[in-house]
Amino acid sequence: MKESTKDHAALASQFNKDEPRVDWHDKTLWWIREKRDKAAHGVPEWELLRDTASGIKENVLSRLSEYLLQFEEQAIRNGVKVHWAADAKEHNEIISSILRQHAVNKMVKSKSMLTEECHLNEYLQEQGIEVVDTDLGERVVQLAGEPPSHIVLPCIHWKKEEIGELFHEHLGTPAGNADPQFLTHAARLHLREKFLTRRVALTGVNFAVAETGEFVVCTNEGNADMGAHLADVHIACMGIEKLIPQRKHLGVFLRLLTRSATGQPITTYSSHFKKPRPGQEMHIVLVDNGRSIHLGRPDFRSSLKCIRCAACFNTCPVYRRSGGHSYHTAVAGPIGSILAPNLDMKKYADLPFASTLCGSCSNVCPVKIDIHEQLYKWRQVIVQAGNAPIAKKAAMQTMTWVLSNPSVYHTAGKAGRWFMANVPFTVNNSLNPWYKQREMPEPPASSFGEWYKKNKK
Amino acid sequence: MTMSSRDKILAAVKSNQPDFRELPPLPGETASAADASSANAATPNFSPEQLASKFIGLLEGIGGSAYIVSGFDRITHILREEHADAKRIVSGCPELASLAETPAHYDDPHTLENIDLAVLRAHFGVAENGACWITEDLMIERALPFIAQHLALVIHKKDIVANMHEAYERIAKAEKDGMTYGFATFIAGPSKTADIEQSLVLGAHGPRSMTVFLLDEEMSDAGFY
Amino acid sequence: MKVGLFIPCYVDQFYPQVGIATLQLLEKYGCEVVYPAGQTCCGQPMANSGFEHLTKGTNELFIKNFQEFDYIVCPSGSCVLHIKDHLHSEHPASPDPAVGIRKKIYELVEFLTDILKIDHLEAKFRHKVGLHQACHGQRGLKLSQMSELVAPPFSKPEHLLKMVQGIELIELDRKDECCGFGGTFCVAEEAVSVKMGKDRVADHLHNGAEYITGADMSCLMHLEGILQRQKSKTRVKHIAEILNSQE
Repeated sequence: MKESTKDHAALASQFNKDEPRVDWHDKTLWWIREKRDKAAHGVPEWELLRDTASGIKENVLSRLSEYLLQFEEQAIRNGVKVHWAADAKEHNEIISSILRQHAVNKMVKSKSMLTEECHLNEYLQEQGIEVVDTDLGERVVQLAGEPPSHIVLPCIHWKKEEIGELFHEHLGTPAGNADPQFLTHAARLHLREKFLTRRVALTGVNFAVAETGEFVVCTNEGNADMGAHLADVHIACMGIEKLIPQRKHLGVFLRLLTRSATGQPITTYSSHFKKPRPGQEMHIVLVDNGRSIHLGRPDFRSSLKCIRCAACFNTCPVYRRSGGHSYHTAVAGPIGSILAPNLDMKKYADLPFASTLCGSCSNVCPVKIDIHEQLYKWRQVIVQAGNAPIAKKAAMQTMTWVLSNPSVYHTAGKAGRWFMANVPFTVNNSLNPWYKQREMPEPPASSFGEWYKKNKK
Repeated sequence: MTMSSRDKILAAVKSNQPDFRELPPLPGETASAADASSANAATPNFSPEQLASKFIGLLEGIGGSAYIVSGFDRITHILREEHADAKRIVSGCPELASLAETPAHYDDPHTLENIDLAVLRAHFGVAENGACWITEDLMIERALPFIAQHLALVIHKKDIVANMHEAYERIAKAEKDGMTYGFATFIAGPSKTADIEQSLVLGAHGPRSMTVFLLDEEMSDAGFY
Repeated sequence: MKVGLFIPCYVDQFYPQVGIATLQLLEKYGCEVVYPAGQTCCGQPMANSGFEHLTKGTNELFIKNFQEFDYIVCPSGSCVLHIKDHLHSEHPASPDPAVGIRKKIYELVEFLTDILKIDHLEAKFRHKVGLHQACHGQRGLKLSQMSELVAPPFSKPEHLLKMVQGIELIELDRKDECCGFGGTFCVAEEAVSVKMGKDRVADHLHNGAEYITGADMSCLMHLEGILQRQKSKTRVKHIAEILNSQE
């Protein structure tokens, strides 16, 4: 995967060169937001559920070490092997060592954003291990050699004609066939063969229950189950924040998750894995990879409540018009913009600025993360850490000087308006980014202050 | 002495976790007790008829089918009609032995690859989302409800709860009565995907159709469809 | 009651008519209005860009100019929200004037509905008008219900606009999507900002708006820039001007 050095603004600008495509991307995701609204309005106690979910997750974060120990104890008692990975590298090594132990070099994988975060597929491929992503959207981007652009709808940025061409190239479907039904069926047959022949299946984890040691995997396709129940080894990977205290809490989260994600009342399958199948090995890999550090940040720790529903992506007017790849990180969108700077502040310094702080995200979030407030706070942290571009810093210092001194402000304002009125090309030119696609405001003869002085004093 | 990753992670988490926040009550739970028989205070009480009607409406809305039947004779009849071409049918219900294999288990789940139809009992349905709860002891093999081309589940019409909170109360009660599971799942309709330009396609990797039979023992066969 | 009039910096420099309309409206309803001449800016442009640490000067200026009033009223939701959320003094006196200011500052619409409790307006504006729900006013100050929440609908700006004779309020396809101004975002992420603005404009035009109004001139300035580049006949007009209009 190519590492881009461009930031969100540059990548988004590229994305916007094809306006009809941006319209298509934006309208599709807005439609999903509308479906979410319809589903939420069908649950009169929706806001109470959000409060409850938020409260449960806050309790979890406040007792995370105890819940982790409880979960481990229960899982081991259930016959599951529990591994701990401090970082992405260790996570990848644990998985490859399990594969080596079983002398396996082919596996199937259902959706796990954690494995994207850890770049697991590339790591395993370098060791000669074939990984087949079985979620249809993930398989599309895998065949195309790209990362997913959305954590729930991985190939939302692909048109059906393009998928048709891709499948023609890789699966041998007829050229020109772009019928979703036909293409899905072709994928069904292609992936069925993988399920039936692979001995190791890796899944993500939507929720892990500390009380019982079980974990839940939610899919519409049934690919996680097809993989796990036919494999000799089931490996489940989870971020340590995915715990919930008791099984009954699943009621709250399963009511919120899919309605928030796609507007469905529930995914087709909400599978509760507790014990391995007789004769099967089950492994859980608990992954930190920066989460324990994030937990120590008072302003930002609550982003660990996230249940990866992507409601914030679908509602974000910036995400819809820039696409997931503009965020150059595994988890994009608003939640990604407040998680990524924790992993690498320099690399992801641009993300908290890829927002107008409109606040829509915070209000669709099923666990009430104050995303837009954290975006604002990350901006302060990033600038204080010295990650602001020099030109911006200089401009801000000038602005501060002008705005902190009334006489300077009045003079500058008057001068600015004079130039705009009399020498318009000083601002109406290609160096002025505002002017590229917008007219400048008309400069009035007097400011309000000047009018007031003349007319009211 | 180097700490294991486990110890490092636990130590970091413990030192960084915020001050204790109490767990909130669930909707319908009072702060004093999570009464197992509590009606969900956040939603009005539904009658069994209303629950069944809601369940069927939801299930049909997500691409599933539902039949209210008086007994297994009717189920047999309907399945013979709808799956006339099925070459291999498996069922966990001995009542369906006339049209299905009814083994206690299979040695190798891979041999289930060519199953056209699986008919299994489930424990109960959930009205708010059309899902059915099924544990592995009712599945014969864990892979069966997923690998079959078509799936049918059988529940009693009176065994429909209003929402997921009631569902988990029921699961907890069953556990107290000794019914544990190593694997279980909620199944809501046929498998599906909308990954290709948001066009809904039924039958992704799991079953292409899903039918729920609601047994209503009070029903008579007279005047039947 | 003595009202301190706070006029956003860009309204002062580019849209003085909004300040004038605000002043006239407040005086019409019996307020004694004073405009402190030493005011400049709330500090939001720096703060939202990550330079909140540079707002000490603007904070002190604001406190100095506005602490004496019973109420502070401003025709801008985002500026009021910024003061409410972020105004503070480095060396607060006791009692802390910043705390007092945060409690008594109001955006114009909410001041008219919640404090003056206006139920009647002598205003005429015989045009088709689209209301742009500016984000900070809506989601921050709760000027109207947001579409994200499962909660009863309400709208303070609509409540006032409906009192204007002859006005025809149009329905939008997307009721409360952001216009894309976002402060320095409007130039730092120019492509996305403009696309968002174009889409908002298209929604209003498609639904027949002759005027686009709202409680935040920053949003309207951005939409106006796009409308004028498109040479559209549709214009923007701040809600203060409509509520004060005799057209």
